[in-house]
Amino acid sequence: MTDIFGQTLNLNYVLLLPEIVLLIFSMLVIGIDAFKRQLNISGNVPVGLALAGLVVALTLSILQVNMDEDFARLIQVDSFTSFFRILFIAITLVLIVGSHEYIEKSVSHVGEFYGLLLLATVGAMLMASARELLTAYLAIELLSFSLYIAVSLARSDRRSGEASLKYVLLGGVASASLLYGLSMIYGVTGATQYHEISAVLSAGDTGLTTPLLLGLVLIIVGLGFKASAVPFHMWTPDAYEGAPIPVTAFLSATSKAATIALFLRWFGGPLLPIASDWQFILSGVAVATMVVGNLVALQQVNIKRLLAYSSIGQMGYMLMAIVAVGSGFGSDATSAVLVHLAGYIITNLLVFISVTHFFNQTGQEEITSFKGLAQSNPYLALMITAGLFSLAGMPLLVGFFTKFILFQAVVSAGHLGLVTVAVVASTVSLYYYLMVVRQMYLYEPEDGTEQWRLSLTGYVTTLALFVSLVVFGLWGTPLYAAADAAAAGMF
Amino acid sequence: MESETALYVNYLPVLLGGVVGFILVFTALIGARLLAPFSEENQKSTTYECGMLPIRRASTNIGMRFYLYAILFIVFDVEVIFIFPWAMSFLNVGVFAYWLMVLFIGVLALSLGYAWKKGALQWR
Repeated sequence: MTDIFGQTLNLNYVLLLPEIVLLIFSMLVIGIDAFKRQLNISGNVPVGLALAGLVVALTLSILQVNMDEDFARLIQVDSFTSFFRILFIAITLVLIVGSHEYIEKSVSHVGEFYGLLLLATVGAMLMASARELLTAYLAIELLSFSLYIAVSLARSDRRSGEASLKYVLLGGVASASLLYGLSMIYGVTGATQYHEISAVLSAGDTGLTTPLLLGLVLIIVGLGFKASAVPFHMWTPDAYEGAPIPVTAFLSATSKAATIALFLRWFGGPLLPIASDWQFILSGVAVATMVVGNLVALQQVNIKRLLAYSSIGQMGYMLMAIVAVGSGFGSDATSAVLVHLAGYIITNLLVFISVTHFFNQTGQEEITSFKGLAQSNPYLALMITAGLFSLAGMPLLVGFFTKFILFQAVVSAGHLGLVTVAVVASTVSLYYYLMVVRQMYLYEPEDGTEQWRLSLTGYVTTLALFVSLVVFGLWGTPLYAAADAAAAGMF
Repeated sequence: MESETALYVNYLPVLLGGVVGFILVFTALIGARLLAPFSEENQKSTTYECGMLPIRRASTNIGMRFYLYAILFIVFDVEVIFIFPWAMSFLNVGVFAYWLMVLFIGVLALSLGYAWKKGALQWR
């Protein structure tokens, strides 16, 4: 099969099977939900179908780990793609298993909610695997649109609609800016394929410095919004606060990881030849993100807002490593980012799923409502403490190991100044993580010491995440090897 | 550097359009201010409703249903936008293009069916 330019296209649909399977299952979930009265099915069918789809897609992705092939010059299935496919599917799987009680209780339109989660996962997977600008853009929109709706689905919470509206309006502006930036890049290079752009830009001066710079700035604005980097972060706390907690977790895990994947694909690929043009912009953004994210987190009273600002700070560390990618330490810095991303996601999921179960029991999400949790549910208090300590980067937990690798990669690329800021910011972050721990351990519970338990799935997911937190913290070799293979596929 | 100048030349009509647009609007505004007679009558500040006296406030709530219909209308609007260029290049691309359009319209029909099932077409 050839396209209209006469180029041969590889239409091997097997390459897209994980995405296709997820798409079919998401349509099934949504369709069955629409006809649930006529079909007379129980409420467990949507969640069962969603989980089945995820498991099948996960199996298929694992089978394709060693592939390196492109689909129709639009999608590249390489080890980088496989890393993110497995990561994204695992996130959704863990989230659904860990918080299905919350979803049934506090989310309206449950069936559609599961469908949207699957669609968002597909979008994230395509973001990591696109090898062409417009495909990447469409993937971003698939992820974003699903999340705009999912944010608004919290039942009987007025903040949810507000959050969704803020997210969709600002997201629209960011998408427009991104698209305009892409058109600039296309105008300068005459190509949308990553490798063609890279070839044109490394061939020498195009004579179009201004449009190229404008394009770079607009792209950084658009992606910076999705990554909630600091001048563009204002939507993050509001959207996080109003969204249902699993969606907040999804925003802070999949959405952020997919954006970082795109950052790596673009700034480590087509835009790498002009690294000197964007490195200083990204350094500025990274420093602002680390400083503002961690300082503003100090005065938060709502746990979801606190975690929002903490995730902004974490994005700063990863943007810093993308600057390092531009300094010619591509594969080292990339594998460091991937390791940190995986560690951050494991940790964040543990915290969020614990908070979800806390909310199921108490219906509260203020930091002060965690008073005395160590007495009323010592297990959950331990899980939250471990997660927060890992986010702060305490030794023995995965957060320390991944942060160490990340900072080391940035130092060896010669950006000592950036790392200094990161280390100071990371020390500051310990304070606000400890604020939550203090509430749980140093105070008496306000309404008696009545003990309560998690559900079985709650125990299973938190325990699994906790075990991987500790195991990867002590023995990070498998994580590091996977990230290394993924990075090697890209450079 | 030459190609960069060429790029700016491409934007020249936009700049010209902008400048001319500003001049037109501002001359109209200033001209009206200078030439038109003004009266300070109380009736003038009321809402204009076909020459009748207004019966209630001009800003009222509009049912959410209208927005739903507008959004469903967009489905067909977008469909037309895609079908026109498709029809122009249909003969060059051939049978593949035909099946692509069938797929596209199928997806749109599916979405409309879903909206129908969900009761979006019912005026309640």
